[in-house]
Amino acid sequence: MKCECSPALRTARAPRVVASSLLGLALVCTACARDARGRDATTLVAAIASDPGQLNPAITTNGSVHTAAALLYDGLVALDDSLRPTPALAVRWGIEDGGARYRFHLRSGVRWHDGTAFTAADVKFTFDSLLLRFHARTRASLAAALVSVDAVDDSTVVFNFRRPYAPLLQQLDVGEAPILPRHLYAGRDPLRNPVNLAPVGTGPFRFASYSPHNEIRYKANREYFLGAPALGAVVLRVIPDDDTQVAALEAGEVDWLFAVPGPARAALAANPGVRVTHSRLNLGGSNCLITLGFNLDRPWFRDVRVRRAVAHAVNRSQFLERVLFGDGRIADAPISSGIGFAHATDLATASYDTAEAARLLAASGWIRHGDGARSAQGVAGLPDGTAFVIGFKAMPRQMVYGELLRAQLRSVGIELRLEPLEPAVFADAVFTARDFDTAIGSYCNGPDPEIGVRRMYVSSSISPVPFSNMAGYRNPAMDALFDSAGAAMNQDERRRLYHEIQALAIHDQPYVWLVETTNTQAYSTRCSGFSATEHFAATAACGR
Amino acid sequence: MIVIVAIGFLLIHLAPGDPVLALAGEHGDAAYYAFMRSRFGLDESIPRQLAIYLGRVTTGDLGFSYVYGRATLGVIAERIPATLLLTGSALVLSILVAIPLGAAGAARPHGTRDLGINALALGLYSTPAFWIGQLAVLGLSLRLGIFPVQGMTSAGSSATGWLRAWDVARHLALPAMVLAAQELAVLVRVTRSTLLEELSREHVRAARAKGLSRRQALLRHALPRALLPVVTIVGARVGHIVAGAAIVEIIFGWPGMGRLLLASLQSRDTPILLGLFLVVSLTVVLANLLSDLLHAAIDPRIRLR
Amino acid sequence: MRPSTRASVFAELAAVADAPPPARWRRLYRREVLRRMSVRLGVALIGAVVAMALFGPAIAPHDPFAVSGGSLVAPSAAHPMGTDALGRDVLSGLLYGARTSVVIAGGVALIAFACGTTIGMLAGYRGGWVDDALMRTTELFQVIPRFFFVVVTIALFGPGLGRMVLVIGLTSWPTLARVVRGEVIAMRDLDFIRAAEAAGATATRIARRQLLPNVLPSVVVVLGLLIGQVLLLEATLGFLGLGDPGAISWGTMAAQAQGFLRVAWWLALFPGLAITLTVIGVNLLADAFSSARTVDSRGR
Repeated sequence: MKCECSPALRTARAPRVVASSLLGLALVCTACARDARGRDATTLVAAIASDPGQLNPAITTNGSVHTAAALLYDGLVALDDSLRPTPALAVRWGIEDGGARYRFHLRSGVRWHDGTAFTAADVKFTFDSLLLRFHARTRASLAAALVSVDAVDDSTVVFNFRRPYAPLLQQLDVGEAPILPRHLYAGRDPLRNPVNLAPVGTGPFRFASYSPHNEIRYKANREYFLGAPALGAVVLRVIPDDDTQVAALEAGEVDWLFAVPGPARAALAANPGVRVTHSRLNLGGSNCLITLGFNLDRPWFRDVRVRRAVAHAVNRSQFLERVLFGDGRIADAPISSGIGFAHATDLATASYDTAEAARLLAASGWIRHGDGARSAQGVAGLPDGTAFVIGFKAMPRQMVYGELLRAQLRSVGIELRLEPLEPAVFADAVFTARDFDTAIGSYCNGPDPEIGVRRMYVSSSISPVPFSNMAGYRNPAMDALFDSAGAAMNQDERRRLYHEIQALAIHDQPYVWLVETTNTQAYSTRCSGFSATEHFAATAACGR
Repeated sequence: MIVIVAIGFLLIHLAPGDPVLALAGEHGDAAYYAFMRSRFGLDESIPRQLAIYLGRVTTGDLGFSYVYGRATLGVIAERIPATLLLTGSALVLSILVAIPLGAAGAARPHGTRDLGINALALGLYSTPAFWIGQLAVLGLSLRLGIFPVQGMTSAGSSATGWLRAWDVARHLALPAMVLAAQELAVLVRVTRSTLLEELSREHVRAARAKGLSRRQALLRHALPRALLPVVTIVGARVGHIVAGAAIVEIIFGWPGMGRLLLASLQSRDTPILLGLFLVVSLTVVLANLLSDLLHAAIDPRIRLR
Repeated sequence: MRPSTRASVFAELAAVADAPPPARWRRLYRREVLRRMSVRLGVALIGAVVAMALFGPAIAPHDPFAVSGGSLVAPSAAHPMGTDALGRDVLSGLLYGARTSVVIAGGVALIAFACGTTIGMLAGYRGGWVDDALMRTTELFQVIPRFFFVVVTIALFGPGLGRMVLVIGLTSWPTLARVVRGEVIAMRDLDFIRAAEAAGATATRIARRQLLPNVLPSVVVVLGLLIGQVLLLEATLGFLGLGDPGAISWGTMAAQAQGFLRVAWWLALFPGLAITLTVIGVNLLADAFSSARTVDSRGR
């Protein structure tokens, strides 16, 4: 049911209509007004799931802030599809002192959206006063290794490290290290700075307006140094419900979805007005691995045979099929396949084999009587007769993994009690209080194992920091391997070390690696040319 | 009011979990969290924090939202108009529909029409709001395309003035109807039973003896009186209405306080949660007061003490 | 529940006044039939839910927590109500879920009954400053927006069946307390109470033997309406993701169906219907009960 109305007619009658009665006539005339969006064809409307609250990406690792702010800013480098650095604010760079010093030559003639010139002082300020103090991930990985960031002159920046540091270039893109304007932030509290709500960047789009919990508007930056975007404007629309996002795309109210929920994917793929694409970028990071962690301090999991039994009892293809709806792959190694050089392809993680699981459990003192949960017989630290009933904590969004896990572990006599916890409470219970038996987390490996893998295994990261070493796993051999891998500058050497790391991780089984999640995005066919980066819309164009 | 503030404050602080994480993100180190904690005064004892909070509330300062990096009152205040628009239109709509329906039912009690209206009211009253909402989106927005799926304005529209008002009205229609449906059920039944009672009173019967038809008696004499209980009920149900609005806002992506509530729960934004609790409680108190005043204005027999 | 007597029918006749006689009779007849029908329907609906709660686990075809079939299988002989995304049987979930609904409704009703009648009777019977203090407290609780309070509490302390019952129960008694207080005040000076007092009965005894039986009918009506609201609130908590994951509940099932509305209609339909029908049943009974009472008292 469609009703064509000429624009002239629409404009002429709208005032009278509204004046007479808002609601009554709303029912009658929506069919006409549907076409009266008053929207420019070169405006892209994208749906985001949550309101960012503010738009300063340097003071938070909150994924929704980064999604919303990425269009406004640039990093020193950008990363291409294979995670190789390409020029952005820096045009070229050199590595000195065997990897302990990086020298960046900045692009000349770059201006902030307010017209001020971009200089090396902005870079130094952003790292010293913002990223290293407030951006938790950058702070955790760089602060200990970094001696100083120096602006040698207006167009040269030098990073000095204590020891060789291999993964720096993967940490300088707009997602990890956006550069902010010194002239608007210097000398002011960055957390309360009003510029956070009316940001000024160097990126392909400039800020236009922000209506909280509703939408954020951007205008094209005609002076963008990598070329002006074809789009005239971008609107990020806050739509919290996944299904409503899909409905809005189908109804033509939005043009781009950052994430498509599994059940809707088939319908969208079949829709001639919609195109579906995949990306390594997830909200919150890239190369994410859904990981089950055992609390190794609990008597149930001190015996590696029990951990292996759980790994054998897990049917990972069911996770891929029924939870992810095929959007991802089975995790066949502890490091994500998205980090090509480090991902081990020739190691075997535990296969789905309930008979083997039952055998291992019986061997380690867990005896099954009848259909219910197994009970302990001679398990160290547990009185005989203790039932194998354990807790499982997860954030609400990831509880569905727990539901399937509960169903699968039941068949080998392990009972899970599910406890959904809001993110902050989850972090507190699992990482600070360490009060859990098992828990699940999405560990985003990032572009380099140093960024997202190391924290899961080294004993020094058993700490209250969220998404650190959840298992409480400590093995001096593992610590030593990570230290060598982090310092090695030769790619082949690093590859060999990460291979050893993965073999050791599989042997010790502190985690069960379930599935790698990829991200499906969808867009209206009236638009094209999106890139798989944070600047997804910079190269895109939309028509009627 | 002070007691309510105290209840809310203690509740949130006795709950497990650490509010500092909401501010600091998920990847910091211990020293960084300690820095944030001292920065936002979370090191103080709970009674002291409460005392500080109470002192601030009386001066209209509801604290500073960790997550938004802004004053709490401002964050909440900018959501109030959207919620008011939604609840206001839903109320007007439900009253406008409920009174005729109730009157129609009362005109012929236990007739077919009355039966149908009663069944409708019972059905609406017994159905979860989110279910009606989802069915409405599915049927009216997706299948028939009559209404926009979500939001308060068309995304990307740069309309201003009347065009903008028209745009908002279009988006308002469906959520307002869903919210109104719940209130409708209650109001229809109240209207109907009050009308029946009024019709049996002396003055109505006297009027009928003078030759007014039943219908005229209903409209001229019974109906004005029946407005009283409607006012009372609406006043007493403000809590329900705002709660219903929260659900409807979540389903329809309406940028009001309900959406803020959900977002603040997820990010554990203590000052906002407290502020919302406070604002809603205050609204309930004010609504009760207002309905008493209206009551007095309509019915001269009631004198305010 | 007493059907309306002949006397009450005439009282009603007077109330409906001057409709022409045949129409009047027809209406009254219909009204009677309707009331009986709605009582029967209500009893049938509630009976079905209670039966499901008692025998559901015994007759359920599958373990509701286990994977028992393919993902999102449409209703068929093996799965009369289909399966969910993980392959769990919906019918089995529905049967097990009845128990959760009954536990929640019963638990909340119990708490509300205990608090509401005690406070109401105490305030109404004692009067004076006791009444004042108790009623101020009641008003305070009444002002607390229940939905917001429950959502915030559950979200902060984590979901759990017991916790949910407790929090909803503790915010559900004020209406009951006020109704009971009103009735007790109206009754306080009646002869049979005075007689009991003169006979030296203690306040507790009077409360239990004289007051309680007489307020019970109103209590049942209020509790009936309350249970309807509680079931809806529980469903809404499930929708917000605040349901207990260890117990199967219709609300949580209906909520989990939201993501599959267009690919698997059965996921939303059956739990939603179960909730709606149960609440209709409870409301029908409460309505029939209260209208039987009003007619009854008018006839007296």
